[in-house]
Amino acid sequence: MDHRNEQTESAHKPAPVLMKPMNMPVTLAICSGGWLVPGLAHLLIGKWVRGLIFAACVLLMFGLGIGMHGKLYDLQFGDPLDFLGFVANLGAGIPYWVAEHFDWGVGTMSWPSFDYGTKFLAVCGLLNYLIVLDAFDIAQGRKP
Amino acid sequence: MILSHFTALALFALIVSTVFALITKNEPREQFRYGVFVFLSFIAVAVVVGWLMYPLPLSGYRP
Repeated sequence: MDHRNEQTESAHKPAPVLMKPMNMPVTLAICSGGWLVPGLAHLLIGKWVRGLIFAACVLLMFGLGIGMHGKLYDLQFGDPLDFLGFVANLGAGIPYWVAEHFDWGVGTMSWPSFDYGTKFLAVCGLLNYLIVLDAFDIAQGRKP
Repeated sequence: MILSHFTALALFALIVSTVFALITKNEPREQFRYGVFVFLSFIAVAVVVGWLMYPLPLSGYRP
């Protein structure tokens, strides 16, 4: 009985509308834009609300990380964890280079929220990678 | 900027759960429900793990 109800519900549910797949160079260009400017990829695809929310989330997290005196990692091969930290930070795109240019990501270890700030900066970069992958899937018509 | 541990945790959970919900679910209602679930899970797990670690000694800490 329940099984039948599920079938009836799914029959009434409108099928998700997938985008027509874009060609690969355009998709890659959109994803590059989304990496450099968080949320831009979704804006270019036409997912305005999603793009604005993603941009707000990543930029807010980045700003909080900088405000909490978190550390941004530079490209160094000496310590593997430093390199992974750099890869994570790089995910934030242009905000990373802006912060590096103004020496905002030096990191003050004695600051009470230094550790939280460093994690915020790393995670916002990683989230942006996920957001870019989401935009890639939408542009390729794999998800609505 | 100095935030309390719980405020920082709550902000972290809020932002990450929002992004996860929007990425993994397609319908607004599903996104909201999943976002709330992930947010509450973050908070609950952090509080539980915090209490589990409470009896452990703080190595090197000299009050």
